[in-house]
Order: sequence, then structure tokens, then C-alpha cells
Amino acid sequence: MRNVLRKEMFLSASVLTYLFVLFAFMFLLPGYPILCGAFFVSLGLFQGFQSAREANDIVFSALLPIAKKDVVKGKYLFVCMIEGLAVLLMALSVVLRMTVFSNLAVYRNNALMNANLFALGMACVIFGLFNWVFLGGFFKTAYKFARPFVLFVIAAFLVIFVSEALHHVPGLKVLNAFGTESLMIQILLLSSGIIIFFLMTVLSYKGACKSFERIDL
Amino acid sequence: MTIVEVQDLVKRYPSFELKNVSFSLESGRIAGFIGRNGAGKTTTIKSMLNMIHTDGGNVSYFGKSLKGNEAEIKKRIGYSTGTVSWYPRKRIRDIVDTVKRFYDSWDEAVYRKYLSYFSIDENKTPLELSEGMKVKVNLMLALSHRAEVLILDEPTSGLDPFSRNELLDVFSGLRNEGVSVFFSTHIISDIEKCADDIIYISGGEIRGALPKAEFVKRFSQGKESLEDTIVRLERSALNA
Repeated sequence: MRNVLRKEMFLSASVLTYLFVLFAFMFLLPGYPILCGAFFVSLGLFQGFQSAREANDIVFSALLPIAKKDVVKGKYLFVCMIEGLAVLLMALSVVLRMTVFSNLAVYRNNALMNANLFALGMACVIFGLFNWVFLGGFFKTAYKFARPFVLFVIAAFLVIFVSEALHHVPGLKVLNAFGTESLMIQILLLSSGIIIFFLMTVLSYKGACKSFERIDL
Repeated sequence: MTIVEVQDLVKRYPSFELKNVSFSLESGRIAGFIGRNGAGKTTTIKSMLNMIHTDGGNVSYFGKSLKGNEAEIKKRIGYSTGTVSWYPRKRIRDIVDTVKRFYDSWDEAVYRKYLSYFSIDENKTPLELSEGMKVKVNLMLALSHRAEVLILDEPTSGLDPFSRNELLDVFSGLRNEGVSVFFSTHIISDIEKCADDIIYISGGEIRGALPKAEFVKRFSQGKESLEDTIVRLERSALNA
């Protein structure tokens, strides 16, 4: 599997995929819908799928001495690696905003969501949606990606809109906790986001393996 | 010794059907897979490489079914799919550097030999290569890991006559080393030059899978060439 992942990194991936990981630092932007950072990281991954299709990457991979399902596994592993890297950068930003920047007025006077553990959990949900809607949809044909990407965009922006506004709903102010306020709830929300990510990714991966086995290349 | 067995392959498309395709390949022999455009050559080859989902039949290599042993079998076979180019903007060197890691049997000396034999500049990208050179790159990849069977889809298409002759010489050399070569073509003179066996497909059906001499004995009339025989068979199938 190491070789498959290496092929994804050095042959299949687009430079943009790596560059767009830096959008994770949008978690540091004040007065901006920070979850868009997760969307832009996904956009970078999508660019990689576009360039890979132009390079006949899927057929090339299927001809390598690996099982067909390992082609799918390689794509999922690479995508999860990029998403994991982005979550790490976002986590770094969240830690900064929960500690040294927690009392900065520019962050406190913000109508949109605060970069806290709940935001990090929701970024995981957006990545999970990318894996479920886009990756799962892509592997139904292994070449059509416009429809799954449009569906992902709709789903992602719905999640972004709801997440950014949710703390204004009476009783949900805790979602916008600053510093280490309501830490246990924050950790619980982050854990829920991570679990949702894994559930969506695993379910999507299993479906993608089945679809990919059935399609003609 | 039989090393590849294709049994009753069926693949149904809305406008075409591969009908119970069966044949076998022996070690140390060159089999030419012949048929006109659209006869089912590429569909058969794709089925042999598990690139399409068949509706029936089985393909086995070295006595093992391709299903369930795909990775192990693919390490022992080499394949080339004509002029398709991979990663057009990556250097050949970088593509090879990734591919060779998948094969325990990768032979750097053999790779260097074919690099020089085919006059391939590994610092070029596929985008900078002619169609014929792309075929050569694909062949070089297929040949550099000491494959026991080579499955080649139209390997001589796009090649100039000199390169075609070179390639047919390579096939003959490999045969002497015990490698089995299976190549599809619609250039009948290539088959006449080097094939030991002929597998003839028409309309998705195998019409004959025989040693070349027996094929000629069974299908040729008078002193007609193999090309004339195939053209006549195709015409009669069209008129039937």
C-alpha cells in the first residue's frame, strides 16, 4: 500500500492539492466563515482528480500489479492524508485562538462562529461529506466527477451556513465557546465530528470498492 | 505447458457481445490475436486484465484464477495498451521510478537495455513523444520486470516498419527465453512474420485458435496468403 500511496503523491496528485492545504489557516481569519477553509482544501483535492483524469491515472493504476480495490484504497488514503494534514493545521490555529489569542477583540467581536473544537469537528464533517458524496460518487464511474462535486458543494455550504449561524439559536451559545470555556462539551462535539468523518469515509469506501469492481475501464 | 487459459468469456454491450471466448496460451510461444476493428480484441484483452466486468467466464494464469489472485498474477505478466499515454507531463524517469517499486522482479539492467534499444530519452515526458515512441515506452515498462507472459494490445500500431521489425525480433528473442507473447493486431504481416499460433476473432466470437500451420491448412484456399484468407473470411462473414 506504501507504493500505491507514493504513486498518488508523486504521479496522480496536483500541486494545487498540496497548496490548497494552506487554506486550513483560514481558521485564523477574523470575521470570515472559517469553515470555508475545509471547503477550499476539498477544492484542492478536486483539482487533483481533474488532473489525474487527464493523465489516465485510474486506468494506469488498475494496470499495476495490485487488486482493483487497492486502487480505491490508494485514493481514499491519499485524500484522508491531505484532510488529516489540513485538520492538523486547523487544530494548530484553534489552539492559538483558544490560548494566546482567546481575548483578542477582533475574534471576540465576531458574528460568525469562533474557531474552537466544535469548528474543528465541523471541518471533519465537511471532509467526511467530501469522502462520502464526492469520492463515493466519483467511483460509480471513475471518470464523471461534475455531479458528485456539485452535490458536495451544495451539502458543504449547507453545513457551513448552519454551523456558522447555529450559535445564535437560543440555548446553543455554548457552540461558540472561547478559550477553554465548556471544554468537555467542546471535546464531545469534536469527537462527534471525528466519528461522523470516519463513518462517512468507511461507508463510502466500501461502496466505492463495490462500484469500482463493477465498472468497465 | 499452458500458462494462460481463457474460458467462455462473455461480455454484453448494447451493440456488441463477446460470445464464449475461449483459448489458451502456451509458454515459449507467440500467439497473434487477429481480427478487424471492433471484432472484440481489446474487449478480450481488457477482460484478461480484469479491466472490465465480464458477464461470464474465467481467466486463469499459471493455474490460478485471475479473480482473487490479481496482484500476484499481475506481477508475473507484462501488458501494454498501445498508444495510450500516462501522465503526459511527467518525465518517463519519474513514471518508471514509481512503477518499478511495484515489482520485486524489476530488472534495472533489462530496463537500461530496452531504454537504449528503443532509443528512449527518459528525461522526456509522454507529451514530447510520438505515438510510436509511446508504444515503445509502454513496452519497455512491460518488458523490464521479467514477465513470464506478455499481453500486448496493438503493440505494432503506429510504429514505423523498422521499429516493427525490431519489435518482432524482440518477441522472437523472448520466445527463446520461454516467455509467452500474446499480441493483438490487424496487421496480418506481423503475424505471418513471427506468430506460432493464431487466434482469430470475428464478431465477438473466436473462429479459430490454432498453430499457424494448422490455421493455414484449415482456412486458406489454394496458395492465398494469410492476409487474403482473413479478408475472405471477413467478407464471407459480412455476407452471411
